[in-house]
This record gives sequence, C-alpha cells and structure tokens, in this order.
Amino acid sequence: MTDTLAKDHEVVLQQRRDAATQARRLKTLESLFELRAFIALGVLIVVFSLLSDSFLTVDNVITMTKHVAINAVLALGMLLVILKGGIDLSVGSTVGLSGVIAGELLQGLHIGFLDAVAYPQVWAVIVLCIAVGAVVGAVNGLLITRLNVAPFIATLGMLYMARAAAMLISGGTTYPDLAGDPATNNTGFGWLGEGRPLGLPVAVWIMIVLAGLVTLLLRSTPFGRWLYATGGNERATQLSGVPVKRVKVTVYVISGACAAMSGLIIASELTSAAPQAGETFELNAIAAVVIGGAALSGGRGNVRGTLVGAFVIGFLADGLVILGVSTFWQMLIKGAVIVLAVVLDQSQQRFQRNRAAASAIAAEHEDSEAPPTAPAKA
Amino acid sequence: MSSRTRTRTTALGSAALAGALLLTACGDDGGSSEAKSSKSNLITIITPASDNPFFKAEAAAAKKKAEKLGYQTSVASHDDDPNKQSELIDGAISRKSAAIILDNAGADASIGPVRKATKAGIPVFLIDREINETGIAKAQIVSNNAQGAQLAGQEFVKAMKGKGDYVELTGKESDTNAGVRSKGFKDVLSQYPDLKRVARQTANWDQQEAFSKMETILQRHPDIEGVIAGNDTMALGAVAALKADKRKDVVVVGFDGSPDAIAQIKAGKMHATVLQPAALGAERAVQQADKYIKTGKTGQPEKQAIDCELVTKENAAEFGLFARR
Amino acid sequence: MTAAPPVLRAADVTKVYGGTHALRGVSLDIAAGRTTAVFGENGAGKSTLMKILSGVEPPSTGHIELDGRTVAFGAARQAADHGISIIHQELSLCPNLSIQDNLFLGREHTRGGGALLDRAGQKDLARRALDRLDGTIDPEVPVGDLRLGQQQLVEIARALLQDARVLIMDEPTSALSAPEVEVLFRVIRELKATGVAIVYISHHLEEALAIADDVAVLRDGSMVAAARAADVDLAWIVRTMVGRDQDDLFPDRAPTLGEPALEIEGLSVADPATPGRLAVHDISTTVRAGETVGIYGLMGSGRTELLECLAGRLPAASGTVRLHGEPLTGDVRRRIRTGVVLVPEDRQRDGLVQSMTVGQNLSLASVPRFVRRLLVHRGTERDAVDAMITDVTVKTPGADAPIGSLSGGNQQKVVIGKALLTGPRVLLLDEPSRGVDVGAKADVFALMAQQAERGLAVLFTTSEPEEALHIPDRLLIVARGRLIADLRPGELTRDRLMSLADGAAPSEEAPHD
Repeated sequence: MTDTLAKDHEVVLQQRRDAATQARRLKTLESLFELRAFIALGVLIVVFSLLSDSFLTVDNVITMTKHVAINAVLALGMLLVILKGGIDLSVGSTVGLSGVIAGELLQGLHIGFLDAVAYPQVWAVIVLCIAVGAVVGAVNGLLITRLNVAPFIATLGMLYMARAAAMLISGGTTYPDLAGDPATNNTGFGWLGEGRPLGLPVAVWIMIVLAGLVTLLLRSTPFGRWLYATGGNERATQLSGVPVKRVKVTVYVISGACAAMSGLIIASELTSAAPQAGETFELNAIAAVVIGGAALSGGRGNVRGTLVGAFVIGFLADGLVILGVSTFWQMLIKGAVIVLAVVLDQSQQRFQRNRAAASAIAAEHEDSEAPPTAPAKA
Repeated sequence: MSSRTRTRTTALGSAALAGALLLTACGDDGGSSEAKSSKSNLITIITPASDNPFFKAEAAAAKKKAEKLGYQTSVASHDDDPNKQSELIDGAISRKSAAIILDNAGADASIGPVRKATKAGIPVFLIDREINETGIAKAQIVSNNAQGAQLAGQEFVKAMKGKGDYVELTGKESDTNAGVRSKGFKDVLSQYPDLKRVARQTANWDQQEAFSKMETILQRHPDIEGVIAGNDTMALGAVAALKADKRKDVVVVGFDGSPDAIAQIKAGKMHATVLQPAALGAERAVQQADKYIKTGKTGQPEKQAIDCELVTKENAAEFGLFARR
Repeated sequence: MTAAPPVLRAADVTKVYGGTHALRGVSLDIAAGRTTAVFGENGAGKSTLMKILSGVEPPSTGHIELDGRTVAFGAARQAADHGISIIHQELSLCPNLSIQDNLFLGREHTRGGGALLDRAGQKDLARRALDRLDGTIDPEVPVGDLRLGQQQLVEIARALLQDARVLIMDEPTSALSAPEVEVLFRVIRELKATGVAIVYISHHLEEALAIADDVAVLRDGSMVAAARAADVDLAWIVRTMVGRDQDDLFPDRAPTLGEPALEIEGLSVADPATPGRLAVHDISTTVRAGETVGIYGLMGSGRTELLECLAGRLPAASGTVRLHGEPLTGDVRRRIRTGVVLVPEDRQRDGLVQSMTVGQNLSLASVPRFVRRLLVHRGTERDAVDAMITDVTVKTPGADAPIGSLSGGNQQKVVIGKALLTGPRVLLLDEPSRGVDVGAKADVFALMAQQAERGLAVLFTTSEPEEALHIPDRLLIVARGRLIADLRPGELTRDRLMSLADGAAPSEEAPHD
C-alpha cells in the first residue's frame, strides 16, 4: 500500500491544488447564493427603474411598501408556522373574517335581549378582531396538537370554515362604510389605512414593528429557540422537556392574529369590508416565506429572508402593473420566480456541502506538502 | 344596510341543496317525462353568487315575482363553477321543476347543462348572461352591455370635457361582459383624440385589487383626470385609492348601478354609473316562464336586451336595488 | 497480502464531508474468497470507506479499482451491476411493503414484456433466499411487522439475491440474536467457498475477528495497520484502534452510597407497540445517590420502556416511583424540573436537533435558566455551554459548530451534556455506548462515574456483556419485562450473565422472586 501511495502522491497533490481552486470558486458562488433574495430584489429594482421613470420614486417606493406590508404581516406569521414545520392555509380567510367583524362592530352591534345597539370604539374593534384571529389560530393549533390532525388538513378545513363564518356574519354582502359616526363616537378606523405618521403609512409601521418583534422573539426568547428546535426535531425537543404543544399552538395563534391585523389594514384602506377579501392570500404569504429561504420541513428560515421575499413578490407585481403588463404574464412571472427561488435554495444547500469538502482538502494540501504518513504495519 | 339582515348564505344554501340532492337521489324517478301532470309547481332560480348585491337583487326579484304568480321557488348559486352549475341543474331536473331561471356560469360551459334541462322537458330562461348557442333556452334576457358601456363612455367624455389622461380598469379577462364593456367604452372614447388612455389593467372585478393597482398606477401617472371601470366594485376601489392620494377632482365612472356606488355618487365621490336593470330582467324572465308553462309559448324572441340606465348625481335618488324605485 | 490479485481495491482514497476528513489517503485490497474485517472506532471512517467501495458515494480524491481497472460508479446501482453489494448499517427497507417486494425493489422480475410483475417467480426466489437464513419468515409479510433482527436478515437476503462478487456487510449483526449470528456466519463461509469476497465491519470485535481472514484497522480516517487475522489477537486490535489497552476503558471506583434517590416499587409499563402486553412487569428496585446501576437485557427485554417510563415518556400501568421520598409524577418536562432526565437510545431521532449548533443543542433543555428580563441572556448561556463542553470533553471547534460536524461519540457527549445542564439528581442513560467508538466510550463511562461521585444516581442500560460486568456498581438483569437478577457484577461471569439473560427468555417463569 505504501508503494501505491508514493506513486500516486504527485497526482494527489495536484488533486488537492485543484480542490483549493474549486473551493475559492465555490465560496464566491455561495456568498452569491446567500444573498440571492437580495440580489433578486436588486435586479427587480434596477430593471424596473430602467424601464420606467416612475418606479424608483420616493412616493412609489412608499406605495409599493404599503402593498408589501399587507402580505409581509401575513408572511411573518406564516414564517413562525413554517419554522415549526407546519403550514397555515387559513390566513386568507381570517383576513376576510377580521374585516367583516370590524364592519359588523362599527355598524353597531345589535344586542338582542336588550334591544339595543352597541357601538364599540375603534381601539376595541381592533383588539376584538385580532382576538378573533387569535381564536381561529388557537382552533387550528388545538386541532393539530390535541386531535392530531395534519396541519395541512386542519388549516384547510379552517380556510373554509373561517370564510363561511365571514359570509354568515355579513350575509354575503360588503360593509360599505367603516368611517364610523361622530354621534356614536366610533370614528377613526380609517387611520389604519390612511394615516401617515412620520411620512410612512401605518401599514408600513405595523410591518416594521412586527418584524422587529418577531426577530426578537426568534433570536432572544426561549420560545424562539424552542420553535427552531421543534422544527428541527420534534421528538428530541419534546424529550428535552420543551413544551412542544404549547409552542405549536402559539405559532398558529400568532399567525391568526397577524392575519386579522392584515384584514383590518385592508378594510381600513377601503373603508369597506368584503367577506371575500383575502382569497388566496395564504399562497402569497407562503411564497414570501419560501422565497426568503425557509425550509417547508421546518427549522430553517428567518425574518430578514421573509421580508425580502415579500418585497420581491410585491415589487414584482407593482412593477409589472406600472409597465402595463397583462395579468396573465404577471401570474406566469410570479410562478417562475417562486420556483426559481426554491431551485436556487436547493443548489445552495448542495454548494455548501461541496465547498466545505473542497476547502477541507485544500487545507490538508496547505498543511502537508510532504507525502502523507505511510501506514504503520503491525 | 338592510339587506344584511337576511340570513340566507352561500353556506346554508349549499347545505340545504346538498340535502335536497341526497333526498332526490333516493327517489326512483330519473326518466324524463314531458307530461305536464308530473311537473311540480317549482321554479328553480340559479345565480352566480349570493355574496354580490347584483346577483342577490336578481335572485330576490325573480323569487318575489314567482311567488306572486303562485309558484314555489328554490334559489341557489353556482359560484361561477360550471360543474356546480351542472349539479344544480341535475337537482332541478330530478325535482321536476316547472322552469329554471339561470344566470349562467360561462357562455360555452353552460350549453350542455341547458340542453340537458331542455331535453328533460324543463324550460330554461337565461338572464344577465348569454350562452353561445340559440334555440335551446326559451329566452336569453340580458342587459344591453354594449349600450350601457356606450352610455357610460358618453357620460365620461362629457365629464372629462373631451380631453385628458384616463385609466381603464377591466373585469376578469375570461369574462365575456368584461370584453363587451371594454369595447363599448373604446367605441366612444376613441373618437376623442384628446382623451388618452394611459393605462389599462384588469382588477378581476375586485375592490382590493383595484385599490392596490390604482395606487400603483397613480405613481406612474399622477396627472390622470379620469377612471372608467368595468364594474362598480372596481370603481369603488379606485375611489378609495384616489381619496388616499387626496385626489378629489378625478372623474370616476363605473358600471352596474350597485347601491354602494349610488351612495358614492350621491356623496359626490364618484361621477356616474350605468345601472343594469337586474330586477327587471329577472321579473321579465319569470313572467315569460309563467306564460310558457301555461301556454307553451313565450310570445317573445329568444334574445332580448334590456337597456341600461345612466345614474348621475342628478337622478341618483330615483334608483334602488338595481331598479328604478 | 494475498497471492491472488485483489478483486476490489481502494487506491489512496480521500473523502471529506462538511469540512471534516472522513478518510485520508486510504488504500485497501479486497481478495476473492476471503473475509476482510475492517476495524476502527466510530468516526474512524469505516462506514465512509464502505460507502465509497459500494458506489453510494464518490471519493473526493483517489479512485476505486475493480479487477485492476479504475472504475467510477455513478450510483449504488452501477456498483451493484458490477457485482458489489452492500448491507447497510441503517436498514434501508420500506416497512409498508412485503418482504418479497423489498427484496426485489428496483430490480423487479417481470413478465409480459416487462409490463407485469412476475410475482410467482419472485416469491419462489425470495423463499429460497430466506430459507438459507431463517426458514420461518414468510415472504408475503410486510417488513414493518418483523422484529428488527428479522429485518436485518431480509437485508442480508436481498444482498444474497444479487449474486454479488463482493459483499460488504456494515454492522450486519447489530440486531441479531446469538443463533441468528451463527446462521449468518455459516452463510458467510458458504459464500466464501464460492469465491465471493466479503468485507465485514462490526463493533463486536471478537465476533469480527472470529470470521475474518484478513484484518485492516482504520484510525482517524487513515489506514494504520493491515494483517492476517491468524497473526493478531483482540488486544492488538483494540490497541491499534485506540492506541491503548481495553482495561483503560473501565474506570476503577469505590462508590460512596448516599440516600435512596430513586425508589421503584412494583412498576409495570404497557407495551406501546403491542396493546394488551406489558413491556415492563412488576419491577422493584432502589437506586441510591452516588450509585451507578446497570440494566442488562436483550432487545425487547423492556429496558428501554423502563427508562422511558421513569423519564415520563411512557405512563406507568401500575406501581409507584419515588424521587428522594417524593412521588415522581408528571410529563417529561415536569420530571426534568424535579431532576430526572433521560439520555435516549436513538441519538439522531430523540437526542439531537441536526439543524442547530452544538451550543444550542446543549442548552435546549435548560433555556429558561438563561432568561433575564424575558430574553435569553447570550453571555450566561455561552458561559454555561462552554463550561459543559469542557466538562464532558466534547471535541468541537466551538459552540457555534453545526452538530452534524461532530463524530458519533462527541454527539453522544453533547446529548449527555444537555441532560447534565438541567442539573439532574437522577441520570438515566439508554444504551449510552451505542454507536460510540472505543475512545469516546471510555469518556462516556468516566463521565457517568464522575457524575455518581458528585452524588447523582445513575441508571443505564446496556446490551454489551463487557460493559455490564465492568461499569456498574450494581447490575439488574431483565428479560421479557421481568427482573431476573439484582446483584453485584463481581459475583458474575460472562457466561452466567448471558445464560441468565438468554435462558430466561423462552420461559414465562421468572426465577427471581
């Protein structure tokens, strides 16, 4: 065996030198991959700016960011669910339900046995709607943890049930005017959609604050650690004494509350609430999370990526509208972007493994120009 | 809004219908007899959706008229799903309806189900939307979309004083009416070279989508002076976006004559809409169904068009739920 | 090494995973008609070498020669077409399919121009292959219904069916009973006689040495020695593998026993897999603070269920357990808080979160301890984790290294460290030496002894007679869910131990009162 080694030594050294070159090349590629979502966003911005003067203006960026915010708020909730290894298909319906409940409350709540009409104030309406979203999420969570329903199925059921609830409450029609009435002291709902504290729409502030909170939650709380662990290996996490079921229910509750928040923003912007609002929004939210590099199997993903994912989807859609591209092409391009994002993610995983291997061989090469140690014969 | 006190909903409606289908499936009939004696006193009314005020008004008018004429009624919605429409028609056949009033789920996809019902001896009266076939349905009573669009276009031109940049929001691109209306607008507006269409986007009949797309379009074209929309829902979305952008002087014209739009016209936030007399068409269909059941003839040509009416601030008070008061 | 040219040869093979060298310039000759046993600690690179020889993975550098010609296998299937078969350490069977379907998976026999499965023909072949190993297995039974040992036999039968010229066996006996091992060895001798080259890997050193003609020893990814089996003995192999004698494995200690820590009385546990059957049957014993107690039993003897019940993972059917006099109740979470923690048997499935770092895995069970004002305090956590890495001697570049970059032994130390970080009073370990190399094994046992000296009660299971006889202060022998014996290991010989654990198996009667 020693002879073989000596003979092949020169060849081996050459192989190692090649590996070093390859490692450097792969490292460059990998850093490109890491930033792929940012790069995609950059490319979108550059391309649209070249094609239209009105794309990269302060006003338009703010408007587009406001559009992004609605999806981003949903996507941040979805991120938590996906980190757990679950999925929440019910968020779009919760958007509709939340708006309808806001509409019902602002129009006045008929209390049957008192034969009176209550007009909750706007802050109470907002709190109640978010609570309803949280309850929808809690039902999802309990179905999944207590009754062992698969997340896909439980939230699919909830997709229909929450939508049905919105239809039942509204009788299928739109609440046309949510402005409230000074007489009943419930005006001001429009602020969520129209207000611009410090020049930015409220929706954008909500997105920023929520992103900050979720980042803190994920990085610096026990809950965040438990969430990543549950997504990575639920059995091991449970055996470590982590309250896995509580973690699971909590992510659906947060997701539901985020959806309700989104529903409120939409209803406020339109100062009207339609029970069919938010249809297929769940798909946009999932797309944002996936473009942001999260793994649907759980345990991998972060806030930064998800936000960039939401921006990619939103800027793409708005940019195409500015260019006057037809809806059919818009759909095609969006679909292609989602698939491309996942393909790139897979390639990144593979490149990471290859690069690690190549650089290790190269390191060996730098360590020892001398022939490898000959085997010690017994 | 008073109509909200109604408890009928899509969910309940379909649940009841599913029950009805189950029951009828147990029945031993299935043969298609033309004999009058086996016919019930039932008129089945099928519309696209119950969460839209237009279809709701249409169904309500048909139901009211039929009950006034002494018929029982059954109301259901197919949610623009041709398959569900076909199932609903199967249900109507097995319940031996005397007639079907149908606002169909697609000009081509509905030909088969309508033919199926006709073969089973049940006359079908189409309202609101046509099918691409004649001689099967007993009547096709539709609003004159082309005439309505021209009406809307003319009013738009008048309000714009024949010049300026404008945006068009179109309906679902797969929907015939979206195309007919868009063409109607164009026929009028293209005669005025100073009127410039700077953007044309579909908002899929949807308010939120119209809102968001309008906001984006305003970024590119901040100086537009008019918006013409394929329906009122999208027009209302545009109104909300213009309001958010603090634009008060933009002329917005819609289509349909929905109560929400009429309210906005009264408030001066929207310029005009074109009212489709949904109630009138539905009532006419029931009337002709009644005549056909009794005499075997409608006494009318198959294709009938009902003209739309222009609604502006001046005459807004004269209109109610898709009908003149 | 042999006169005949090697049928298969690895030439200066290097393999790197995620930055660590699994193999460095390894060369190995495999001769036809002989059994080559490859020894090495876990993480020494045995399994990697086998994966490369069998075409499952390509080498990073170097090459493979078959009959003197360099070959590059794109996939395991290509290697199989060249007559190289591998029996994996991890079973690669589909539990939902029948034995027969598994045997022919990917190489189905067909008729009708390839359109239809030739079920009758397959069944016949399957029947014959299985008969060579175990006449009692029906090829129509779903693999999921088989015992683990029988599943391993199916895996072996699959390799037999492929008429391999080179047959690689990676830990083929890990789940086999003693008689089944005998059958396997008979089959190996038969195959050898027909000229098949066998590569054999097992952490049962004696067993492997008994069947081997040639031996090769890997250490740290390098080939450190090769010899004829007849020229070497067990001590030489251990020395070459580890660089020290086996006696160093087992720490000498004189326990100082404290208060009773864990008092188990009449504990029965229902079998989670088979309703209506008891996995643990009326077991009573006491573990004192400062004591290490071993539980020796075969697979399915109820030892795992006993520990899982104590840890709160399985409910007790009857009986009571006390921790320092207080009744021990609640779920896993509650028991960890009161000081009872389990190091599970299956480290990958139940012990580690692969997507997290070494440090995050270590602190997983103790995160709330590091919370200051609702947030996890990084500094406090980092200090505790670093201290534990030193304490349990984990070899890692740092707390931020991905857990997957560690060797099996070091991963096991992380799982133990995670348990210790919760500050337990009773430490339960289910097969702590499973899949751990000899060097790390010594560390693990030393750790257990050290914890006992600090006043912990340590209760662990083992299926290695050597460990059972040398590690614990007291030994419990279980079979079929019952406690067979409770004695000091010094009172016992290896043969007596085996016969107690084995011999009790066929009889439902427990000799112990």
